[in-house]
Amino acid sequence: MRLKPGKAALLGTVAVSYLFLYLPVVHIGLASFARNSNFPYPPKWSLDTMARLFSNSLYQTALANSLVIGICSALLATALAGLATIGLMRHAGRRAPLYLALFIAPLFVAEVLLGISSLIFNGLFLGLRGNMVSAVLANVVHCFSYALLIIATQLYRYDWRLDDAAMVFGASPARTFFEVTLPLIWPGLLGAFIVAFIMAFNNLEISFYLLGATPTLPSAAWGALRYGVKPELYALATCVNLVVLLLLSLMFVLMRTGLVTFGHRPERERSAV
Amino acid sequence: MKGRAAPAIFLGMPTVFLVGLFVLPLVSMVVLSVWRTENYHIIRDFSLHNYEVLATEGAYMTFLVRSLAMASAVSLICTLLAWPVAYGITLYGGRYKLLLTLAFAVPFLTGEVLRIIALQGLLGPAGLLNGLLLSLGAAPLRVIMYTNVASAIGLVYLYLPIVVTVIYLSLLNFDQRLIDAATIFGASPARAFFEITWPLNLFGTLIGFALCFIPCLSATLAPRFLGGPNGTLYGMAMAQQFGESGTWALGAAMGVVLFAVSLLLVIVVARLVDLRRTGFTGFGRG
Repeated sequence: MRLKPGKAALLGTVAVSYLFLYLPVVHIGLASFARNSNFPYPPKWSLDTMARLFSNSLYQTALANSLVIGICSALLATALAGLATIGLMRHAGRRAPLYLALFIAPLFVAEVLLGISSLIFNGLFLGLRGNMVSAVLANVVHCFSYALLIIATQLYRYDWRLDDAAMVFGASPARTFFEVTLPLIWPGLLGAFIVAFIMAFNNLEISFYLLGATPTLPSAAWGALRYGVKPELYALATCVNLVVLLLLSLMFVLMRTGLVTFGHRPERERSAV
Repeated sequence: MKGRAAPAIFLGMPTVFLVGLFVLPLVSMVVLSVWRTENYHIIRDFSLHNYEVLATEGAYMTFLVRSLAMASAVSLICTLLAWPVAYGITLYGGRYKLLLTLAFAVPFLTGEVLRIIALQGLLGPAGLLNGLLLSLGAAPLRVIMYTNVASAIGLVYLYLPIVVTVIYLSLLNFDQRLIDAATIFGASPARAFFEITWPLNLFGTLIGFALCFIPCLSATLAPRFLGGPNGTLYGMAMAQQFGESGTWALGAAMGVVLFAVSLLLVIVVARLVDLRRTGFTGFGRG
């Protein structure tokens, strides 16, 4: 079969985009494991840079703070987004577009504006100083909309008659949720949790204004970047890249192997026609 | 039927949360923008002084115009690049579609600072590009370090993934059989594309455009670390009001300006598109 020019052009653009996205990532990945970190071609392998990164106590504190922010924000955002999605699909009725507009509005407000407006609200009107709780809550606002969209794409084809059936047979709403709904929708919730965690973990612009002097991993990196790029920063970015890659591959494997096929079940397709 | 409690829990809690932590902060930003800061103290009396400063002082207008131009250019480039990429993945991705789209998410989720670090590895003075040129014996390229071009490349790098994802999702929900139907009735591929695929995915495209434009407009990091002395953008100037200069009220007014521009864009997008024509089914079809 001959390659059509249209197809070649499309595939070429796809390839170039991936190259563009991954070239810097791979470059700093090599640089952080090489002794000649500026131009590691061919790399002289060495773990010096990594060792220097891990022995730096600033990054250790920052990592702990970022983990706390990431996990707390992701848990809250997933729970709220799950509630909101079910509410939109089951209970909103005619007002669904209104609620939807409110729920996805944070997507259309830049992160730095979220950070600054929360800073003003907390600092000026509530009299709060920078603290972890407000940083977590502000991150939840941002992650909530992404989590909502992820859960919504998964729940879109959920067969709500399963819930009705359980309730007809006398299950309480809570029991229905935990025995019927939750076991079926957990993959969507997990996906939302993972994405929300990564976003909150890596967030600079929201957390920065709300934390005061408490360092997070991105703000520590930002602080160091002001004095020029150092190999440690390459190593830090590479570590985070590897973790993100790992988490997303986990998601991919779960989805591929059919552990997470929910949302695309053929039975529902037939009954929907 | 269920009682009244269920909607209150399912819709009420997220609504209260968002009103308390998203709407109220934005309102407080608007309130602060009509107050004044003097010597790091906030004086609570109504005046439009901040907006006057923003409108009359040349530098701020330059920053705003530059930001608007930069955001428009970057969003346009992103959209033009993202379309073939998303379309290519939907058409030829086959069983690797999921992998290909998730692969776009990896750099997107790594966070802005770390991606800027990666970009400095590519474009910076000691970066890959210059290293390559030097090792080939050529002179280092000065055009793309610390210029507006570098800023723009950086912003495209930062926001291309989200535009691709949004357009890809739009194409995924688009019923490809419509194209088959059009070709069967004698439409050329180009005509089928422009009369069916493009209008039906216009909403997704515009959402993608907006989701790139809005963060670009308020970009603070890319211009600071990649742009040069002539690269100050509005968002960066705003962030400075909350940091070094301590003029919060002026910063809040700048925030209001950025927010207003974003809102205007969203309204224009919403007005431009008839949702029903795009095949948007919406929620509430349980």
